[in-house]
Amino acid sequence: MTSATLNAPAAASDQQRKEAYFTASQGQLIWERFRRNRSAMIAGFILIVMVLMGWFAPFLSPYDPTIAGRNKDYLNGAPQIPMFCDHNGCSLRPFLHTPERTRSAKTNFRWVTTINTEKRRYVQFFVEGWQYSFFAFEWDFPGELLDVRFPGLTFNTHLFGVDQGGIHLFGTESAGKDIFSRTMHAIWTSLAVGTIGVVISFVLALIIGGVSGYFGGLLDSILQMVTDAVRTVPIIPLFMALAAFIPDEWSSETRFFFISIIIGFINWPTLARRVRTHLLTERNQEYVLAAQLCGASSAHIIARHLLPSFTSYIIIDLVISFPYMVLSETALSFIGLGLKDPVNSLGALLQNVTNADVLLNYQWYFIPTIFFILLVLTFVFVGDGLRDAADPYTERKS
Amino acid sequence: MNEPLITVENLNIRFNTDEGKILAVEDVNFEIAPGEVLGLVGESGSGKSVTAKALMQLNAGNTLYEPGSRIWLNTGEGKVDVLAFRKNRELNIVRGGAISMIFQEPMASFAPAITIGDQMVEQLLLHTKLNKKQAKELSVEMLERVGISDAARRFNQYAFEFSGGMRQRAMIAMALSTKPKLLIADEPTTALDVTIQAQVLDLMKDLVSEFHMAILFITHDLSVIAQTADRVAVMYLGRIVETGTVRQVIRTPQHPYTQGLLNALPKLEDLGQPLTPIPGDIPSPLERPSGCVFHTRCPKALSGTCEASAPQVTDLGEGHQGACFLLNSSASPAASETPA
Amino acid sequence: MSQPHHISVRNLSVHFNFKQSFFQNIPPVRAVDNISLDIPRGSFFGLVGESGSGKTTLGRAILKAAPITSGSVNYQDDDVHYDLAQLNKTQLKDYRKRAQLIFQDPYAALSPRMTVRDIIAEPLEVMGLTSSREETDARVREIAAKCRLNLEHLRRFPHAFSGGQRQRISIARALVCQPRFVVADESVAALDVSIQADILNLLKSLQQDLDITFLFISHDLSVVAHICDQVAVMYLGSIVETATSKELFAQPRHPYTKALLSAIPSLDPDAPSNHIKLTGEIPSASNIPSGCRFHTRCPNAQERCRQEVPQWRPLGGHHLACHFADEL
Repeated sequence: MTSATLNAPAAASDQQRKEAYFTASQGQLIWERFRRNRSAMIAGFILIVMVLMGWFAPFLSPYDPTIAGRNKDYLNGAPQIPMFCDHNGCSLRPFLHTPERTRSAKTNFRWVTTINTEKRRYVQFFVEGWQYSFFAFEWDFPGELLDVRFPGLTFNTHLFGVDQGGIHLFGTESAGKDIFSRTMHAIWTSLAVGTIGVVISFVLALIIGGVSGYFGGLLDSILQMVTDAVRTVPIIPLFMALAAFIPDEWSSETRFFFISIIIGFINWPTLARRVRTHLLTERNQEYVLAAQLCGASSAHIIARHLLPSFTSYIIIDLVISFPYMVLSETALSFIGLGLKDPVNSLGALLQNVTNADVLLNYQWYFIPTIFFILLVLTFVFVGDGLRDAADPYTERKS
Repeated sequence: MNEPLITVENLNIRFNTDEGKILAVEDVNFEIAPGEVLGLVGESGSGKSVTAKALMQLNAGNTLYEPGSRIWLNTGEGKVDVLAFRKNRELNIVRGGAISMIFQEPMASFAPAITIGDQMVEQLLLHTKLNKKQAKELSVEMLERVGISDAARRFNQYAFEFSGGMRQRAMIAMALSTKPKLLIADEPTTALDVTIQAQVLDLMKDLVSEFHMAILFITHDLSVIAQTADRVAVMYLGRIVETGTVRQVIRTPQHPYTQGLLNALPKLEDLGQPLTPIPGDIPSPLERPSGCVFHTRCPKALSGTCEASAPQVTDLGEGHQGACFLLNSSASPAASETPA
Repeated sequence: MSQPHHISVRNLSVHFNFKQSFFQNIPPVRAVDNISLDIPRGSFFGLVGESGSGKTTLGRAILKAAPITSGSVNYQDDDVHYDLAQLNKTQLKDYRKRAQLIFQDPYAALSPRMTVRDIIAEPLEVMGLTSSREETDARVREIAAKCRLNLEHLRRFPHAFSGGQRQRISIARALVCQPRFVVADESVAALDVSIQADILNLLKSLQQDLDITFLFISHDLSVVAHICDQVAVMYLGSIVETATSKELFAQPRHPYTKALLSAIPSLDPDAPSNHIKLTGEIPSASNIPSGCRFHTRCPNAQERCRQEVPQWRPLGGHHLACHFADEL
């Protein structure tokens, strides 16, 4: 008796838990499974942090990443790590020592940078600096009337900075641009290229793969031939041709959009094949026939049964193909065919590490590489976790 | 009495899954004598395949054999515990050695890109001392023996060129070519049509008497058991609820589950009789009932007794055993309700 | 009782053509070949056969879910008469309300992303049979109760259910639009024995309550014997024998039916195993033997069987297609 009464609340909560499972939609089941995958969860967290870092890049960066924000007194400067203690004692506020550039007969009249360890510069937070704006965009169509301008919200507050001189967490490069600021902006650029590429290839893949898979037959054969033809296009020569074609006067932004669009157009066949395969298997499922026997139209079946059945797969495919987009952008920029230096993309930053001088003397140029690897890895882990979680039904049968 | 070939003692098997540890097999004990056909009957989720695979340690990696579980194999030179095997060399004593297995879906059991003959020869080379030529001769001979006409030509064909019944025959030929002491047949005729099923069952009966091996015959179909087995063990949710000779279990079933199963079976002999299903659904492995696992569906469940503790195995004489409180005639006052 | 036949099939053929390639001429698969069949109103009509006999295709053709190559299928109830070969769009929509299908695999037949309520309500919504959500819900609850589903089950997704419960959901979905004719295609084959009897009893009681004509397709003769009033036995795309269940199982006349019945293992361990041994397996439907299509496996086959297609004829309460059935 007593044990029964003691067990009652436990049984009730157990019942509640079960009921929650029974009434859980597929999305909830996927999330439950995904949550239990620790590596995917960690990767997901890092990914969100990176995306936020990219989004708030102007706020996080103490300096304008373009040539306007260069520090001409600190070219090829080593990373400056804020410290709390030095030989003069400790401080609660982090500080930097001051680099000083001198030129005299002693140095053969060359500029030489020395660190003055006596002079502390304290790191300050929420300092005012260069101006940036969120949500601003501008479309410059031919004709005055069609121009769209939205000034956006302008700010000049930055997370941190120092009074005089500069703070360069990741050092500076040969022109004196802050590598930290550039990296933050580059994450955003690379994500944007990836997103535009993924969206374009996804739309194409959905239309082509969807038509091909749902209708089948001759149409399918023709579309598959087209898909295969696109797959055979060699990418590097194509891009070399395109690089030659791009007029020099194109702004870096135009170039950037052009590259993302091209990447989108190159990458759709893989995705289209997956969509097609999924549709081919799914449309022969009995529940589709059941719906057909109710007299449901093709549109109803696609919208109500087929699309929901593969949205999860599509999302996963997108996540998995994302790093490939970032990789192709990086690869193209790396070989000098994609984005060029004034644009801050991870690929453009990687391109800077390709000379012996950097390898021997300025190893901090490699810091953006870490972010690049991290970005690709998190996407891969999140994608894998999603793929494992996506089919909450398979395992339960055994 | 003969020394048993296989003795299973206190077998408890759990699976590690996302949802937690699932008890798949609980306190299973049985013996198989040399040359005996033991039928293992049960519905889905009864743990019959898991039990059989444990004999060869073939269960997936997330399987836990609880300490205390023992599977003794009599090799002829003494008893060995199969569950204690760790190295491949040891496992080969059972896998493809003393024990062979045939499956429900023979298509999945043959590699699609290797000819049937090559697969048969390969396993003979692995498990016997035959050379390649002898292995081939034996394979062709076995294919002929299981009724595959034109065996020499068939030897060089692939699994997809065989029909369902032929594949099952080839599977049997392959399993028997190593001369195992025990053949595990996991639903070998379930995927076949009745006319083909009859052919395969006839073949298996002939082979038992010819090779004098023991068979562990797993099926959900009591009629198939009635026609093939010497003894039967009925499983429900990982427990053996009743064992006995075929005649004992089918003619005078003692456990309410066995009785329910027999009543639910449509029989051609008496068409007028209505079908009486066992009430309720098979509980999911996650919601294993307490006490007697069958009490949630048992029409004769004693409230207060059956859900509280698991019933002990009661000996009913002549090898007939059941695990039910109603059978403890001396101990339980409910003995009067026991059906005749 | 001279009720009109609910379904009347005349010389129906369903052939599937494969792409003709330049190098080889693949003959069409004759899944259903020249079948005539009458399903009386209110009957529980059984269709048995081994795999590859074309029974599923025949069921789908009657539901207009498989293309009819030649012949006709006529549907008749109190209100309408349809010739399935010549249905226009509105008629087809109407026919879908009157004829429904229950599937074999309760796992594949339910869309995993919809709640049970949405699954059962879908036919009503698609066909526009109800005018409001309340009415739909009322209809769903009514049929769910008839199929012994609890109301709280309706909020759940299919993954919460076992095979038997899923099959009940599947049945409720098929019956919610109040069809007059239902094809049950191997509807208990995937279920465990203890659950199977439950579903069979449910089907039988629903048939009586709702006055539905059932075409029950199965490979399991004992199940068919128990639930059906009339049985047709199919072999390789054609029907070899029909009779009432009692007649057919008590006294099969066609050699194939005899062999099929004798192949069922008996539950009696001491039953003499004197079953008729059929040699070989069912031939391919793209390469049907000449004459009587059963002659390659028939223990009584004679020269005439190889040459001449047997006539469909009545014989002592049965109808069958065999030259020598009276002598056997």
